[in-house]
Amino acid sequence: VSGPIGAEAPRPRDLALLTGAARYVADLTVPGQACLRVVRSPLAHARLAGVTADAARALPGVLAVFTAADLPDVRIPIRLPFASTPRAERVLQPPLARDVVRFVGEPVAVVVAEDAYVAEDAAELVELDLDPLDVAVDPIAAALPGAPLVQEELGDNVVATLPLRYGNVEAAFAGADVVVRARLAVQRHTGVPLETRGLLAEPDTASGRLTIWGAAKVKHFNRNAIADLLDVDPGSLRLVELDVGGGFGVRGELYPEDVLVPWAALTLGRPIKWVEDRAEHLVATNHAREQTHEIAVAATRDGRLLAFDATAWVDQGAYVRTQGILPAFLPGHHLPGPYVWEAFSVTSHAVLTHRTPVGTYRGPGMTEASFVRERALDLLAGELALDPIELRRRNLVPPDRMPFVYDLGPQSPPIVYESGDFPAFFERLVERAGAAAERSPGVGVGVAAIVEMGGIGPFEEASVEAQPDGTLLVRAGVGSLGQGVEVALAQIAAEELGVPVERIRISFQDTDEVATGFGSFASRSTVVAGNAVALAARELRARAAELLEVEVEQVDIAAHAVELAELGAISARYEKEHPSYSFGGALSVVSVDEETGRVRVLRHVVAHDVGRAVNPALVRGQLAGAAAQGIAGALFEELGYDEQGTPLAISLADYLMPTLAELPEVESVLIENPVAGSPIGVKGAGEAGIVGSPAAVANAVADALGPAGSAVDRLPLTPARIRAILRATQSP
Amino acid sequence: VKPPPFAYARAESVDEAIALLADAGEDAKLLAGGQSLIPLLAYRLARPSHLVDIDQVPGLAGIDDSGAALEVGALVRHAELERADLPGALAVLAQAASHIGHLPIRMRGTIGGSLAHADPAAELPVAVLALDGRIVAASDKGTREIQVESFFTGPFTTSLQPGEVLTAIRLPVPPGRSAGSFAEFSVRAGDFALVAVAAAVAVDDEGRVEWARIALGGVDATAIRVSAAESELVGAELTGDAPRAVAAAAAAACDPVDDPIADAVYRRELVAALVGEALVRIRAELAS
Repeated sequence: VSGPIGAEAPRPRDLALLTGAARYVADLTVPGQACLRVVRSPLAHARLAGVTADAARALPGVLAVFTAADLPDVRIPIRLPFASTPRAERVLQPPLARDVVRFVGEPVAVVVAEDAYVAEDAAELVELDLDPLDVAVDPIAAALPGAPLVQEELGDNVVATLPLRYGNVEAAFAGADVVVRARLAVQRHTGVPLETRGLLAEPDTASGRLTIWGAAKVKHFNRNAIADLLDVDPGSLRLVELDVGGGFGVRGELYPEDVLVPWAALTLGRPIKWVEDRAEHLVATNHAREQTHEIAVAATRDGRLLAFDATAWVDQGAYVRTQGILPAFLPGHHLPGPYVWEAFSVTSHAVLTHRTPVGTYRGPGMTEASFVRERALDLLAGELALDPIELRRRNLVPPDRMPFVYDLGPQSPPIVYESGDFPAFFERLVERAGAAAERSPGVGVGVAAIVEMGGIGPFEEASVEAQPDGTLLVRAGVGSLGQGVEVALAQIAAEELGVPVERIRISFQDTDEVATGFGSFASRSTVVAGNAVALAARELRARAAELLEVEVEQVDIAAHAVELAELGAISARYEKEHPSYSFGGALSVVSVDEETGRVRVLRHVVAHDVGRAVNPALVRGQLAGAAAQGIAGALFEELGYDEQGTPLAISLADYLMPTLAELPEVESVLIENPVAGSPIGVKGAGEAGIVGSPAAVANAVADALGPAGSAVDRLPLTPARIRAILRATQSP
Repeated sequence: VKPPPFAYARAESVDEAIALLADAGEDAKLLAGGQSLIPLLAYRLARPSHLVDIDQVPGLAGIDDSGAALEVGALVRHAELERADLPGALAVLAQAASHIGHLPIRMRGTIGGSLAHADPAAELPVAVLALDGRIVAASDKGTREIQVESFFTGPFTTSLQPGEVLTAIRLPVPPGRSAGSFAEFSVRAGDFALVAVAAAVAVDDEGRVEWARIALGGVDATAIRVSAAESELVGAELTGDAPRAVAAAAAAACDPVDDPIADAVYRRELVAALVGEALVRIRAELAS
């Protein structure tokens, strides 16, 4: 390691986080604060005839009770323009339910009280006059004519049907030696940060401004959206990020509470705090993942992939939220994966159901699609009597075809794999597993090859400013969700400026300090903001060279930091037109106890092309954490519902997040294949570890089950489900 | 997840706890380690008017093995119980304690609290049932012993009367040469068991079983004994396929509950697997 890039610099917040000195929004208390409690629907679908709050208002300590009638008639907007459609725009969620409730947990009223205990007592006293209506719970049934309607004005529950076609599918199937068909399903589950959501909105009567503490992920979008919804000047709002205990895609999006809390603070002229509890979190924060695919895969007798044809039903929940129809849009684009296909066709239906709305969770679409594709490939390998690893070897995109493009016609941007030796990278995964990947009774090996889409644009701006105290202040519009992006950006700045990492200060938490920012999602922060920081640092060096009248290579920033302060903040913008696609893979070795159905993951290896590892320790941490969530989704976690649309997982005793006792030590293989033409060459790293993990675990379980393994067709693979599979094959 | 209002009083003795309960009326609850009651309060599933805290009452935290029965004070923590060196089949109690939750829970949770809470999937009720335990309850009318068979009356309900304080559990020392084993299956370490099994066996000098208890948790409204399986054991030897046959009898004799995590068919399979596992371990223990 020559410079700051490539060093395993520690995260600046590690000590505080480990010693309990971190400051989360729940730790923040300001004078005069009151607490807000959301009254939520206990029914999945009902007409809301009225809300009676007299008893709640009469409780000592209660300041106010508000319903939809008190609020401006607004909807939570779609954040991503490309994930919006005219039909989606018609089914956005109001901050509080109007006339109809559509899922258990939907906000109906808010109570503001002097403390959180009284607020919860009063919330129980708010009477909801609800007339129950029929519910649509299963997405496939909900898509059929005659199903109870989630949004009457749409006329049916299919909010979008998204076709995707490449090549001549019919011809490819006609020429196939073998066709395998499968119906494969991923369950509803989601990211569950250990810190739940929370906000503290603090009005300043002197300036008329409102500070919102507890922001995360997409602060600038949320500032502008809240200003728009509340009809105030965006400059009057300040969003500040504190320590964040995990994001995973769900935390930090604009939710009803992000409008309700600031609105209540402005209306009552008092600081208002709301901290989501776990029971709320499991019904209010975005759910994710649930979908069923019917897929047919065509191949030649010698194991060459020809084409696939898939139909997917993707659950959207009761409303379309900030990420629009992305949950249904993404899986299709990731079904091809790292393989050469002559043709493919995908039709994805985004279906409304009377359940918590759906958003994106780490590795969205790509994780589900990889499960479907990689399970189907293992079924095909079985049909061809071919080693699953060998089947993949024969079909990975070869390096001489890079950049590799799937042109999807005028309706969709192309899928472009810029670079990479996929077959060689895949061998590194297989080699790492080594002899452990050999078979023994009750033990199975599963593999998955994937591409991760990350580093999405459109751009980030960053600035570097020399300070009179000799430090260098870097501003960037990202969020730190616990991943440590602040140290990665500091390493990039230090490398470019030729100063030690300790001399860099990063400012990203406060929208007053940082002018713009698209935020932290889609494995983009180190890629897009990191390149912007590098460009700004290079510009500072160039300007310093002029000022100091030396060659750029001779500029000694550290020695002249005080003089360079007069240059002010030097900004740069890094634009990114297309996302980066990185090759990755997962290999899992599991044991299955036939008597109890218990699956144990004995070894789990993930490989990922990270472009360039700015901080290898952070990258490995990202891969391991994501892989743990992938194993969780494969074996444990499920947000189940009964037939009435009542959630079955309402605490962490029912939502089975694995602990260290259930998880192996995740091994990682870092592949550094720098992006040509990019200032620092990095690719995304935040999601790769999850993308192939459920597929690899499921394939390993199927392998361990032997002939019964072909019944591994849905997640999670709970002990009860494993026993059911074995029972079905053992019974005469 | 904030509890509704309640009154709180700390008792310094059993008599004071009894008096405080009498004053507080029928909606009062005793609080000891709080590992079940506090979450119930937070989820507002329990709404006691008063909490009478006996957590620091002296004299209830001892394990006394000097008499014909082992006496375990109501405030003995699971973490202490799991470390206790108990003879013969009584060891099943320590094994059961080791399966409860996670270490921080075991540091605070108490045996009296677990029995009084009567969760049908909890470990200690199963072990106490397998050991013919007697529950000691004190009230202003004096002290009585309740046979464990008549103690658990339904999910989360017992035959304790309002105003009674559970003070100790008495476990008779099993006859002859005995051994016990506790086995359970949960999806994650530390969760409540889908099925828990406590088995206790005593053998005569020829190795013939003269006394046997098999109790199950997680399969019914309370911890239950499977006498059909027990009677198959008595008079037999624990050799060959005997554990498997008895396990099959236990599975056939119970009528498990269905829930979203485990249906009845699966629970029955777990009963067979776990009873078999427990009996094989007992056989090994008796052979050593």
